[in-house]
Amino acid sequence: MSDRIEILLSGHGGQGVVRLGQVLGLAGSRQGLGATMLVSHGTETRGGYVRSQVVLASGEVDSPVVERADCFCAMTASAYERFHPLVRGTLLYDPAVVAPGADRAARRVAVPASATAAGELGKPLLANVIFLGAVSRILAATLDRTAVVAALRDRIPRYPEENARAFELGWELAG
Amino acid sequence: MRRVFDTGNAAITEAAIVAGCRVFAGYPITPATEIAENMARRLPEVGGYYVQAEDECAALHLCNGASLGGLKAMTATSGPGFILFADPFGWAVSAEIPVVIVDAQRVGPVSGITGAPGQGELYLSRYLAHGGNYETIVLAPSSVQEAFRLTVRAFALAERFRTPVTLLADQMVTDGWEALAIPETSDERAAMGLEVVPRRAHPGPDFYPASDAIDVPPVVLGRGAGGACSDWTPTERGHDTEEVEAQHKHAHRLIHKIRRHRHLIDEHEAWGLEDDPEVILVSYGTPSRVVKSAVARARAEGLRVGGLRLVSLWPFPDHLFARRARYLSVELNWDGQLVREIQRAMSPGSSAHFFGRCGELPRVAELCEASRALLRGERLARRGWELEAY
Repeated sequence: MSDRIEILLSGHGGQGVVRLGQVLGLAGSRQGLGATMLVSHGTETRGGYVRSQVVLASGEVDSPVVERADCFCAMTASAYERFHPLVRGTLLYDPAVVAPGADRAARRVAVPASATAAGELGKPLLANVIFLGAVSRILAATLDRTAVVAALRDRIPRYPEENARAFELGWELAG
Repeated sequence: MRRVFDTGNAAITEAAIVAGCRVFAGYPITPATEIAENMARRLPEVGGYYVQAEDECAALHLCNGASLGGLKAMTATSGPGFILFADPFGWAVSAEIPVVIVDAQRVGPVSGITGAPGQGELYLSRYLAHGGNYETIVLAPSSVQEAFRLTVRAFALAERFRTPVTLLADQMVTDGWEALAIPETSDERAAMGLEVVPRRAHPGPDFYPASDAIDVPPVVLGRGAGGACSDWTPTERGHDTEEVEAQHKHAHRLIHKIRRHRHLIDEHEAWGLEDDPEVILVSYGTPSRVVKSAVARARAEGLRVGGLRLVSLWPFPDHLFARRARYLSVELNWDGQLVREIQRAMSPGSSAHFFGRCGELPRVAELCEASRALLRGERLARRGWELEAY
């Protein structure tokens, strides 16, 4: 991996943005990486904007701020509008809600998480785990897939099979 | 050792338990709510008590009462609740009650913005009680692991100095997630340099000695010779008095027990000062992590830039500003607070400059740019307001 990987995750409250970052951070710290996650959010539990900034580093993380995102998950249109100037690496977006414009992403990956979660899996809530699978594939050089799957199981112990399936679908979508 | 990926709020909770805290009274508020939640779950497991108070004023009074009853106590809040501590904070200062207070600073004034960091309570943490006549201890963590260490330290200092100790955190420390190692044995605690000072009880009869001594056991009502406690000026034996001479002795004790033992409190981190930098970036809390990255980048470019991270904020470390330099205070507020203390403490020939931001951390590139401007002797752009720009 490079010395420092910056991951930006944003959507609205209730989508599991923070949980997604927790899984990545836990997996990273278990691999012995430096890992931080800053969470910014509005007052509401659901509906307000949420942003997680995850930084993984081979040593201790100094600045926990994402300034040049190696990976940006835009789960809502407003998340994309607000933060797309920061992306330099891979943009992952849900095409049901985000139409990427002029940004500086090196690569754009459409992750139809909301449609896949509602359709194929029958559970809209699983959209964030689909994103997790997709992000994990993008970050495969940094995070071991097995570590992410184990962290997912530990962080979200309910519905392990559905989560594993959602993760797998996301992984395939980012191929 | 238990290794987890968790928040500063979780770290503070577990550290308080390790330090022997057995009472938490509080009123939930973002971004410190999880401390209350975690305490409600954890304290009953260790024989302690969680009390949901009707407001923050009551919460700290309850903690004071618990401490006077012989149990270590803590409360936690954010700015809108911190201001309501003013009355019981004064009680704890004057009656010398060991208690730990956590303030997870968010954006103000008043309710401001909940889930974003601010640093607007530097002076409030110093002057929370009205009437003056005291010194206080304030510590500022910049990471989850450090929040753990400083919480244990806050309890130790509170016991040794018989005073409230404030952990002045920010939303990014309390709500932020990071790897955290939690010691589970006394050997592990010792290896991490954590000191736990057990609660003692003053035997009396001179509960409020006219001296600057520390390590005087706290007053525990109902134990020893039956100490007294009130909000009035105490005689040495703890009786209320309105004698001016007694007030002088009391005030001198409250001030100088801390100032004369400040070497036990002072703590900071320095980057690159050995190379005699022209510009020194100063900060505390989460912004200092960005400062650290910025100093490293600037030094890699060959710039004469150094950094200071304040860990203990009060008593203010004037001695750190003895060298002649251009100081740049990096803070999460727009009005400039730390910069005023630097301006007061700095040696002649130095200058103090201000980089403000609120609700967000500054970026490394911005701090490098500001450092370069100061090295060129330029005024800072308006977004990093200089003191002269007021």
